Amino acid sequence: MSGVALAPARPAARVSATLVAWGAVTCLGALLLPWARAGRDLVAFVPQTTGLDLLGRDWPVAAAVVCGALAGMLGGAPLPLFLRGRLALAAGGLGLLATVVSVASRGAPMGPAPVVGVLGFLALVGIGLALGGYIRADAFISVCIVWSAAFVLIFILYPLLAVLQASIVVGGRFTLDVVRETARSPLFLLIDNPNTPQNEWHQALRAGALLTAAAALVALALTRKARPTLLWTAGTAVLGTGLIALYLGFGAVRNSVLLAAVVGVISTGLGFLFALLAERSRLPTRRLFGPVSILPIITPPFVLGLAVIYLFGRRGFVTHQVLGLSTTVFFGPLGVALAQVLAYTPIAFLILQGVVRALDVALEEAAETLGADRWHTLRTVIWPLARPGLANAFLLVAIESLADFGNPIIVGGGKPYLATEVFFSLVGRYNPNEAAVFGLALLAMTLTIFLLQYWWIGRASYVTVTGRPSQGVVRPLPPALDYGVTAIFVVWVLVIVALYGSVAVGSVTKLWGFDYTLTLYNWEKLSPTGWQVFRNTLTLASIAAIPSTVVGFLIGYLVTRYAFPGRGALEFSSMLSFATPGTVMGIGYILAFNQGPLLLTGTELIIILAFVFRNMPVALRAGVAAVLQIDRSLEEASTMLRAGSPVTLRRIVVPLVRGAILAGLVFSFVRAMTAISQVIFLVTPRTSLATTQILSYVNYGTVGLAAALSWVLVVFMSLVIVALYLVNQRLGGRRPGEMPTLAA
Amino acid sequence: MAVRLREVLHGEAARVRLEGVTKRFGPVVAVDDVTLEIAPGTLVTLLGPSGCGKTTTLRIIAGLEHPSGGRVFIGDEDVTPLPAANRSVTMVFQAYALFPHLTVFENVAYGLRVQRRPEEEIRRRVGEVMDLVGLPGLEQRYPAQLSGGQQQRVALARALIMEPRVLLFDEPLSNLDAKLRRRVRADIRALQRQLGITSVYVTHDQAEALAISDVVVVMHQGRIEQIGTPVDLYRRPASRFVADFIGEANLLPAVVEEGAVRVGSYRFAYRQDGVAPGPATLMVRPEAIRVLRDGEGLPGRIRSAFFMGTYADYIVETEVGEVSVADAQSVEAMHGVGQTVTLQFAPSGLYLLPPA
Repeated sequence: MSGVALAPARPAARVSATLVAWGAVTCLGALLLPWARAGRDLVAFVPQTTGLDLLGRDWPVAAAVVCGALAGMLGGAPLPLFLRGRLALAAGGLGLLATVVSVASRGAPMGPAPVVGVLGFLALVGIGLALGGYIRADAFISVCIVWSAAFVLIFILYPLLAVLQASIVVGGRFTLDVVRETARSPLFLLIDNPNTPQNEWHQALRAGALLTAAAALVALALTRKARPTLLWTAGTAVLGTGLIALYLGFGAVRNSVLLAAVVGVISTGLGFLFALLAERSRLPTRRLFGPVSILPIITPPFVLGLAVIYLFGRRGFVTHQVLGLSTTVFFGPLGVALAQVLAYTPIAFLILQGVVRALDVALEEAAETLGADRWHTLRTVIWPLARPGLANAFLLVAIESLADFGNPIIVGGGKPYLATEVFFSLVGRYNPNEAAVFGLALLAMTLTIFLLQYWWIGRASYVTVTGRPSQGVVRPLPPALDYGVTAIFVVWVLVIVALYGSVAVGSVTKLWGFDYTLTLYNWEKLSPTGWQVFRNTLTLASIAAIPSTVVGFLIGYLVTRYAFPGRGALEFSSMLSFATPGTVMGIGYILAFNQGPLLLTGTELIIILAFVFRNMPVALRAGVAAVLQIDRSLEEASTMLRAGSPVTLRRIVVPLVRGAILAGLVFSFVRAMTAISQVIFLVTPRTSLATTQILSYVNYGTVGLAAALSWVLVVFMSLVIVALYLVNQRLGGRRPGEMPTLAA
Repeated sequence: MAVRLREVLHGEAARVRLEGVTKRFGPVVAVDDVTLEIAPGTLVTLLGPSGCGKTTTLRIIAGLEHPSGGRVFIGDEDVTPLPAANRSVTMVFQAYALFPHLTVFENVAYGLRVQRRPEEEIRRRVGEVMDLVGLPGLEQRYPAQLSGGQQQRVALARALIMEPRVLLFDEPLSNLDAKLRRRVRADIRALQRQLGITSVYVTHDQAEALAISDVVVVMHQGRIEQIGTPVDLYRRPASRFVADFIGEANLLPAVVEEGAVRVGSYRFAYRQDGVAPGPATLMVRPEAIRVLRDGEGLPGRIRSAFFMGTYADYIVETEVGEVSVADAQSVEAMHGVGQTVTLQFAPSGLYLLPPA
């Protein structure tokens, strides 16, 4: 079978049109467009800075133009394709370097020429990688990978690095002074209060030791085994003592961590009970779970805080009008905790509903046939299986609570929290370095939790989801549990209705707490500013939603379907913007894009970019989940029928996941509409957003106006979500049996 | 009919050649130095247990996997560096991979639409190929509305319309029930013969491989064990693995003597070229054994006896170990468990295996 003459070498392949096109675009862009901007205005260019003007005196510009031209000519060169690919890679890399050098040495804000140059040279690098055989994918996919990586690098990693830098580099010098000062500040954390005679550390250690001893005894009595007893004892010693010390102390770390722990436990507990109820209840109230669970998605950040003030504030309807008190007890951790529990229990509920739904009914039936009653089954089967999901829910709620900015700033009662201190250090004390340290501390916490969740539980909890449909009929809850939890749920719903209702009523009330006369005054005062801001927000959020979805979905598709170096890093960095608290990303954007070639602050573009990269992980996750549902052989079949990857994406993948894409689009939009923590750093009076406007209404004491604008947002976004639901139902129902064949 | 079929499809049947093809996934060697030549217009089956590398080999021919080493030729062209889209090869996938959001017509027309052929040509060619696979009139249905056999034929039509130089099948029958499988495989074979398309067919089902192929390539642990016609493989397996994998086989210790073979105390006349006297392994097909109450033969005792309809299935304990028998003669009056019998071997079902 050997000994056959080898086929003649293939003649040099035809012209590579992509290479020619990108080379030409890059070269002409570098040549004809201006390289520098005058200032913040995106379209005010420095005259005499086109490539033609600079060619003679700025050698990197000349080099960039030449690299672009060479790469274009390579497209038609009589060389083997892989060699052309390698040369294009070199030309792209050198051109990119030249562009960066030119921009950096100039120091002025970038004009359109370097933007086109960077994108163009990156495209050439991508094409080169594909043709040269470094990435086993076609040029289109390769360019997508390179671009995504560049975007993630610039708009997610670079701002975070800027935060790190600002915390340890002051005035161009490396120093740990700011870190030290901030860490010693009572605003940050203070355990041993010098104004009290006793040492709080000693108190905490004593109490911790007592608690640990008690835990050891209880664990030993219950399990009668060495290992679990040891684990419980050690856990209690560390966590218990730590929490007691925090409880005795002061400062942002103390407030934020205790808040996250308390809110995490309560929300997870309630979420689990509600999940059992939603899946297993026999009472009609379970129908209410759908609407209630989407509330936090459509609720602007201040609504619950505002409502807590309305009902439980010093002149609150419940506390003052009904109970006759004048208390500020709800201004502070208690009020924040209340608002957060109300806001985040639905998140825990949604996670745990999936867990409870995935429990195999056959296991419970097996337990029952073995003689276990329903309580016993709940304790020995459901509870152990749900534990990873519970931990997952707890950690996610804890992240949300730590990162929350809207509630602490409204009902925090002036106490320090990590997320708000980032803001106050920068805007109040005008100390960007201190803000960076606060941001770093917050980031360290959320990131640790995120990593725990991502690697440890994120994987463990997928194992139980087999996707195999269970044959059994769902087992009902024990009646006592069913009625008991339903009672809690009904109270919950009443509180929610009261809270949202109070905001609605507040918007048509003269002065809540003092004069409950009905009036349309607030609604009339919404024009012009309120409506204008609402329209502006609508525009920016709509513009941002599209790239947000496209980039997110694309990255999701790339990391699920292609193997390339740095794939894990790309996915992780993209998800990083999910785990980063908005205030941290906000200070990062301020630090990263406030000067030099990347000057963008003060423009609407930076708000759009913030939206895009903040919300991209939503589309990414939706994309990954949807793509995993599609049998890979569908794409392979398309490839075998001679379709390139752009055609396969357009004709096969996108139509099959359009429901997920639409959902990603809508949720990106809605999240942008309700965003506050990051963009509050980026807005200017000219580019005010609805959420920041609500905050300034509150700050100026025009709370009625804040209520009215909040209500506009709630109603508008409810309509959007309902529309999405209806459209998705239509999409789903249009073709018979579409879904079952997907997972072939 | 054949003339008209050639009018429908203009693809040139091509020779396929693999030279030292190797594929590693990390430390795992999935395909190990496979060299193979497939004559134009033949149907060659890659057969082996799961994990033997047959599907990976097929996907390397398709261009869906890139080999770690070695080269792939189609016709005279080295296609190793070419992506799947440029190889003029199409494939029928295991689960058919019909696009669920497109009608049957659009599924079949997909490849032509990618090439931006004129609408009129697309209509004509889809119509022709739908006739060819015997599915006219179903063009406006969606795949989910078709039976498994119909989906299979749509997948075939979609592959054929591209006029491929090589047609690949990746276990195309594994999603059909047993009865339908026999019919569809006969249809595929008939169509392939008529069209004369070079075809590579992957299966783990040895009966399917024997039924459908011109040549069977038996693979094991990434390597080729044996290449041969179905008759070759069945009658003259090159190794214990092939003997065991193709059909059922008893592999008994034997001694080769001049013009005869001895198994235990049973000595019978048997001649096979190229086998030296001495100890050897004798393959005995279960259907080549007759079970008698007495007389000359290998003595034994019936361990189990099952009535199988057209034959009786026995396991007989002998001095050389357990022997599995499929005896059609004694169906009417079966031997009972525990009975002592003698076994006689028919020469047609015997083969001396080369020493391992």
